[in-house]
Amino acid sequence: MISTKMFSSVTFLYLACTVLYINFLAFRSERLGKIATGLSWITLLIHTAAILWRWVESYQLGMGHAPLSNMYESLVFFSWCIALLYLLWEKKMKARIIGAFAMPFAFLFIAYASLAPGVSDRIDPLIPALQSNWLHAHVITCFLSYASFALSCAVSVMYLIKIKKKEQGGKETGWISLFPPLDSLDALVYKTIAMGFPLLTIGIVTGAAWANYAWGSYWSWDPKETWSLITWFVYALFLHARLVREWRGKRTALLSVIGFAAVIFTYFGVNYILSGLHSYT
Amino acid sequence: MGQGPAPVFLPGYPLSKKEEKGVFSSLGDSLSSLKLTIALLIILAVASIFGTVIPQNASPEEYLRFYKFSTYKILKILGFLDMYHTGWFVFLLALLSLNLVVCSWRRLRVTRKFFFLPGESMEDEQWKALPLHRKFLQQGLAVDILPRFQEVLSRIFTRPKLVEDSKQAYLLFAEKEKPSRIGVYFIHLSVLVILVGALIGSFLGFRGNVNIGEGQAADQVILRNGQQVRFPGFSVKLEKFSVSFYSTGAPQEFKSILTIMEKGRKILTEPILVNHPLTYKGITFYQSSYGVAGVAEAILAVKDRQSGEEVSIAAQMGNRTEIQGSSSFFLLDRFLPDLQGMGPALQIIFSEPNRPQQNFWVFQNHPELEDQRAGRYRLTIKGIEPRYYSGLQVTKDPGVGVVWAGCLIMIAGFYMTFFMSHRRIWVRLTEKEGGTLVAIAGSSHRDRTGFEEEFKKIDHALREPRRAHEENKERGGQS
Repeated sequence: MISTKMFSSVTFLYLACTVLYINFLAFRSERLGKIATGLSWITLLIHTAAILWRWVESYQLGMGHAPLSNMYESLVFFSWCIALLYLLWEKKMKARIIGAFAMPFAFLFIAYASLAPGVSDRIDPLIPALQSNWLHAHVITCFLSYASFALSCAVSVMYLIKIKKKEQGGKETGWISLFPPLDSLDALVYKTIAMGFPLLTIGIVTGAAWANYAWGSYWSWDPKETWSLITWFVYALFLHARLVREWRGKRTALLSVIGFAAVIFTYFGVNYILSGLHSYT
Repeated sequence: MGQGPAPVFLPGYPLSKKEEKGVFSSLGDSLSSLKLTIALLIILAVASIFGTVIPQNASPEEYLRFYKFSTYKILKILGFLDMYHTGWFVFLLALLSLNLVVCSWRRLRVTRKFFFLPGESMEDEQWKALPLHRKFLQQGLAVDILPRFQEVLSRIFTRPKLVEDSKQAYLLFAEKEKPSRIGVYFIHLSVLVILVGALIGSFLGFRGNVNIGEGQAADQVILRNGQQVRFPGFSVKLEKFSVSFYSTGAPQEFKSILTIMEKGRKILTEPILVNHPLTYKGITFYQSSYGVAGVAEAILAVKDRQSGEEVSIAAQMGNRTEIQGSSSFFLLDRFLPDLQGMGPALQIIFSEPNRPQQNFWVFQNHPELEDQRAGRYRLTIKGIEPRYYSGLQVTKDPGVGVVWAGCLIMIAGFYMTFFMSHRRIWVRLTEKEGGTLVAIAGSSHRDRTGFEEEFKKIDHALREPRRAHEENKERGGQS
């Protein structure tokens, strides 16, 4: 299929973007930075075209459904959301320093889609449970929230690196000096979560509405549901700690990393580790 | 979005200590403590992790495959095998709700003043405490400047109120996006509403399964706990079930056509599919499973071994079927989807004149076996039309609407909390010698940096109201 080949080349392009952003950081060359941004937008464009083309292909195969229906397609979409959110943020803030930490996520998820042995890139027809409009609302909101949390995690890692350097008493030299000030990083950790948390909530609600139509129960403590709730608890904790208890900096950055770990477990762990005991059909 | 609220309004922070505290007020303090919230969120998250690792509501045999008997016993006693419905888990949820109510109640006392107390006029000290303020001298009388200021504020911020009006002094007050202050109460309320919806469902609702064969009807359902519940005054008849598959073998569609009957009268007939349930009188029917209950009709090829002639005969289950032009007849007695691992088989009772009645099995996938049977006719199965049964999940949950209302309140609450910011602007005009002293002050609930920009713009526009006003008029005139 053409779209699959496009996704493979997009994978390599994201790798190239990642390398460029890291080099931009290492050599502090404005030109490299501009090239990194330019290439990233081009990659995102090809990525978008490939998703649309896969949609067309599903019609050509006589199935006709949006490419959001299996592990492969969700990984591709997740990677797309991360790249899009990051690039929009970069445009708004006019700062490309986070690229070296955000782009690797876009690369890793799409690379996993292409390379992992268990992930099939076939376009499959929709089984009856997936034939629902809730599918689109659910998948789109969930992955936009996951992408916000991925960005938050990337910024938290930068924060933790920077504060560690500072605590060691060293002067900020080399590439760390290019990092935005601690306060800005801290604010960004919060802002990305303030965006991701409502989206995650809508994702869970649309999932519950769908489950109510398909299985007659909006909540059944299925491992996937429960893990999404655990993730929700972690970020709820983050928001209360920050907004009410005035937690800042290291502690909230760590919570953001823990939250993203919960996201990853909800997404992969439940499928691979817990599926032996429970199935999600 | 932006920074959090100022640290002045903190529930959970120790309130001013009184000399002696009653048991109830200190209990209130611990219940309103954010430490409790954080602890509960962590405990609930960790407990939930256990609930996903330990299979829930499985059979004892399944558990004993994973665990030693003693481990199984301990888990059972601690309630880990049906954890989400266990007393201690429900207690934690109840405690979280109580914590939520008390915290919100205490916090509301602070927020209230933004709504019910006149926050518009203020003392000099309060004025100075505001994060942003500017002063400048404007030529002219206050009474002349005032309408221009009102116009500018309405245009670039929002319509101001005139809150003080003495002879030589005026105070204008304008505020925007006030709901930002109460978003958090919406969110907290929504959690309670959702839990109430869940409680209504668990006390007044039920969930069960019923299998109905094609052409048959059911007027009750057997619940998971074995209890039987009758449908209120109606029964459900399965007209037809159909299943279709993609060429890959994956299922494409499961469809049951249901008729609701009341006292023998047809009320309505509707198909249900996965994702398309049917609700009647508060009871919802979901397509959940299916199976083969028997055979409706079988197409048999009947070959006359003497003449070599072959005819196709459609035979109904249980009916006597004649072979035309002879006095022989047969009866389809029984169907098994898989007989001794050899696939679908029909049991046939065959009657020929002058011979004892024969009773034998014919296999759909093994026609060669018929050659070993003596008799005038050789039977092969050309096709079997199965008679399906459809497995319906039957659910009554009067709490669902409440849960959805809770979800909507929550989303509205998030919008208010994260995408709105309560911004307030005060403008004071005091007549002095040589002009009017203008003082502007502002504060915002969130997004301080964004508000600073907005405040600068307002300050700028007020300093040169005439020019901004006229420019605007010219632009308006040209277009």
